[in-house]
Amino acid sequence: MNRYFIVVIVFLLLSFQACRETVAPKEVRKEKPAIFPDYVDVTVPATIAPLNFKVQDEYSAIDAVIEGRNQEVIHIQDKKEICIPENKWAQLLANSKGDSLRITVSIKKQGNWIRFAPFAVHVSDVPIDYGLVYRLIAPGYEVYSKMGIYQRNLSSFDQSPIVENTLIPGSCVNCHSFRLSDPKNMNLHIRGKKGGTVLMTDGKINLLNTKTDETISNFIYPFWHPSGNYVAYSVNNIHQVFHAAKTKRVEVVDGASDIVVYDIKNNQPISCAELMNDSIFETFPSFSPDGRSLYFCSAAHREMPQEFNKVQYNLCRIAFNPENGTFGGQIDTLFNATAINKSVTFPRPSPDGRYLMFTLIDYGNFSIWHKEADLYLLDLQTGLCRSMDEANSRDTESYHSWSSNSRWFVFSSRRIDGLYTRPFIASIDEKGNIGKPFLLPQANTGFYTNLMESFNIPEFVTGKVEVDPNEIEKMIVGDKVSQVGKLKMQ
Amino acid sequence: MKIFSVNTLLSLGFGLIVFVFFAFFYRFHLNYQEQYQLFLFSADYFLKFMEKPGGFSDYVGNFFTQFSFYSWVGASIIAVSLTLLQRAVWLISRKSGANSLFYPITFIPSLLYWGLLCDENYLFGGVMVMLLVAVSVCIYTLIDSIPARISFVVLSIPVLYWLAGGAFLVLPIFAFVSEILKRQVKWTYLAIFALVVAILSVALPVISKTYFLQYPLRQVWIGANFFRFPVNLPFNVGVIALLIIFIPFTLRFLSGQVKTQKTTILLGLQWLVLLSGGVFFISSAADMAKEEVMAYDFNVRMRKWSRVIALADKKSPASPLSVTCLNLALAKEGLLAERMFSYYQNGVGGLLPDFTRDYTIPMITGEVYYHLGFVNTAQRYAFEAMEALPDYQKSVRAVMRLAETNLINGNYAVAEKYLSLLQKTFYYRAWANNALQTMKDENLIAQHPEWGWLRQCRSKEDFLFSEGEKDMMLGVLFRQNQENRLAYEYLMAYTLLNKDLKHFLQYFPLGESLNYRAIPKSYQEALIYVWVNTNNDPTKDIPYPVSNATKQRLQAFQRSAGATQPNGFSDSYWHYFYFRK
Repeated sequence: MNRYFIVVIVFLLLSFQACRETVAPKEVRKEKPAIFPDYVDVTVPATIAPLNFKVQDEYSAIDAVIEGRNQEVIHIQDKKEICIPENKWAQLLANSKGDSLRITVSIKKQGNWIRFAPFAVHVSDVPIDYGLVYRLIAPGYEVYSKMGIYQRNLSSFDQSPIVENTLIPGSCVNCHSFRLSDPKNMNLHIRGKKGGTVLMTDGKINLLNTKTDETISNFIYPFWHPSGNYVAYSVNNIHQVFHAAKTKRVEVVDGASDIVVYDIKNNQPISCAELMNDSIFETFPSFSPDGRSLYFCSAAHREMPQEFNKVQYNLCRIAFNPENGTFGGQIDTLFNATAINKSVTFPRPSPDGRYLMFTLIDYGNFSIWHKEADLYLLDLQTGLCRSMDEANSRDTESYHSWSSNSRWFVFSSRRIDGLYTRPFIASIDEKGNIGKPFLLPQANTGFYTNLMESFNIPEFVTGKVEVDPNEIEKMIVGDKVSQVGKLKMQ
Repeated sequence: MKIFSVNTLLSLGFGLIVFVFFAFFYRFHLNYQEQYQLFLFSADYFLKFMEKPGGFSDYVGNFFTQFSFYSWVGASIIAVSLTLLQRAVWLISRKSGANSLFYPITFIPSLLYWGLLCDENYLFGGVMVMLLVAVSVCIYTLIDSIPARISFVVLSIPVLYWLAGGAFLVLPIFAFVSEILKRQVKWTYLAIFALVVAILSVALPVISKTYFLQYPLRQVWIGANFFRFPVNLPFNVGVIALLIIFIPFTLRFLSGQVKTQKTTILLGLQWLVLLSGGVFFISSAADMAKEEVMAYDFNVRMRKWSRVIALADKKSPASPLSVTCLNLALAKEGLLAERMFSYYQNGVGGLLPDFTRDYTIPMITGEVYYHLGFVNTAQRYAFEAMEALPDYQKSVRAVMRLAETNLINGNYAVAEKYLSLLQKTFYYRAWANNALQTMKDENLIAQHPEWGWLRQCRSKEDFLFSEGEKDMMLGVLFRQNQENRLAYEYLMAYTLLNKDLKHFLQYFPLGESLNYRAIPKSYQEALIYVWVNTNNDPTKDIPYPVSNATKQRLQAFQRSAGATQPNGFSDSYWHYFYFRK
């Protein structure tokens, strides 16, 4: 019985093998193929999921020969797209670390094979974190439908929900953030009739009501202190307005904004006059890796929304003493964007403290709706700042996050269709050299076309986030919300 | 040769009546349902539904609902489904020992579901749930072997739970009662059976929620989306589901009680109650006022402007949304300025209703903004309406509008994304293919009667949308394209409906570029009214070519001004000005 079974299996395998056509190209092109996603000459980590792709042309068959180090080869032929077997791919990458894969693509058109010039995929020997956490939400206006915060293992195509808004009908889930990519220390907000800020510290969940009499709103945009003892938040009075002209859609503006630092152990927000100035908009705080500086965006107050296109933010810094939770008395301007008629958002220092990445736009702070939004890199050692042209496109580049080892970054971009934000990952070395970014790989090439949601706030995590959504649900439904203490002003 | 029994003919007759009702009297409800989903022929779409209990029923429900694009097809599907449900209930009843004398009673679940379907928020997936559980009960009744039928029930529970949701309970409850009545199974085994069912009933939803699904337990238990608002408990559906159990056993009991000599009276009485009750129930359940709004909306969606006006000529619209549709149709036919006061007007809310966070009003208002040339606003309203759908579905109508607006705005990549989705639909594939072809050629877009024109009408000058300053926005829009007659007439209508004659006079000369042959009726009425009330020099004549008939009519109106509602002037602006609050 077993013998027959083996014979049948071998026969079937041979049959499948026999189905693969021999590629005898009638035409050999000098150019590399235009593929989707564009993986031509990208740099990837050795643990990335298979880079499945298709050629952006019409064809009846596609063939790819993927050659790694030591003559290791994966050969795939299909009618629609190149889907690489996960195990073989993982092995090939592991054996090709620090080297490049050579991929030769051919397509069959009108019965004839056309071969393109081979392209490379550089396999970095620098590791990347376990995965990404992002929110999937339709790029809408005021109303929202189903959304959720999801995690994705970068080594496979596995995506799982951390929390979805279906758990608490009518709610909105947003602003996930991790302490140095640590999955055990996480912040996220659940807004709605019932909700609060979910703060997970060392795996323990607490639900907070963060509105105080002294602050203008709940805690909004978060950033963890590296010690895990504090989380900096902006408090914002946010409005949306809508454009009539074709080139723009939405403008998200702050009528007022301040910054507070939440002292987790003492359950108390703290701030100072410099961060709560009524004549200044302060937003998007982030701590330096040594925890002794607080970066933030700062703009002179304007009437909103009337002067929405006149507000411009600079990149500023204030000293912070984590031992006693006090601030320095002076604000330094690190990047004077107003001087060049621009505005800074999302300052994010690299965990090694060498660089600070931010988004630069013409005005305002909500860069996702700005086509001109580009990533910039500030060298904190030299003070030099440059546009990250290797990563930028003609469309929006907005939110970004560093890997825990500072050698990779993920950013959201609207370059594919101009509206639906997609996550791109790029390498960056000690000298600030940036590799060609690659789109987060998916199991099939139609994934992004069919997906009606944007990838929002992609963040690296060093391991799987272990959260029981039912615990969160019980806390919210059971009103087990802890009120944060009164604001302590320095 | 007898092909159909009387009962079968009665079932067919019932189906026919259901068909006639939905195809001829309630057809726009079916069109309404169809627009609020985006059924895709793709594995991903199917698997998304299969992720949750009851999702299969929702999927099949959506599959059938897509055919309601043509309401007669949708009506046929509903008729067949409700007839099948009735036949299934009869089969179960017959196998349970019911006498055919009680055949009329078996129509009750179908009749009740027919009533539910008159509410636009009840979705067709619920009928699929009923059919699935009814068919599973049928199968149970057809199995003779005791171990086989008990095994069937136990094994069916998880499958049925995943396919139909919490309604799976109908099968084990029916089986339990049935086995008690049959007395073929020992009490011990029955107790074990009940225990297994109880454990499964609790465990399946709890396990699903704990490990797979992020929904409130109640929703995980109910499963299918019977109602568009999944947070609502579908009590009515629960009653119908219980009737599938209750009716067969009741009929079995009654069949044992009935005396043969009184059968005709009993049968006649049942039909009488069923027919009179049915007529009363369906006429109460049917909301013809909503049907009217949906008729207006569907014809606007299909750009059947003359049909919209014909509807209003037949019966003047009363609801604000119908008025919105009518005003748009009048404007598209070039009749707004001439005839708008011939119909009921409810103020500027009937011209451009304010934004609300729901899926109906923005969809209709978005049509007005679209045809005016406010392409970005139309896009926003379509997106908002789609996102507001409480059952998290996408809307085929909204996706079409998003494709159109992006195409007009030259955002071809994202337009292509929407069109590629529409290519996976049944009815919209050809439209999407045509749009994709058009998109490849700028000349074709420019020559397109709608897209090309709207491209010219769009605002080149950026400003922020302001709900409170619609007249200003209309003014800016018209200033940028002075051939945009719709924008001008909406601007003027806005001032008239607002009784803002100062701005009416200020904006009136802007219409010079539109080369009207004569000043439209409502404008003449407003002009002469202002003139009469502001001119102190009787030797001067009005500086606008207002007809003598209009002048004389105003005099007549003023003579009868003492009356609370002067007769013969209800189609005039003066009547609106004085008598509409």
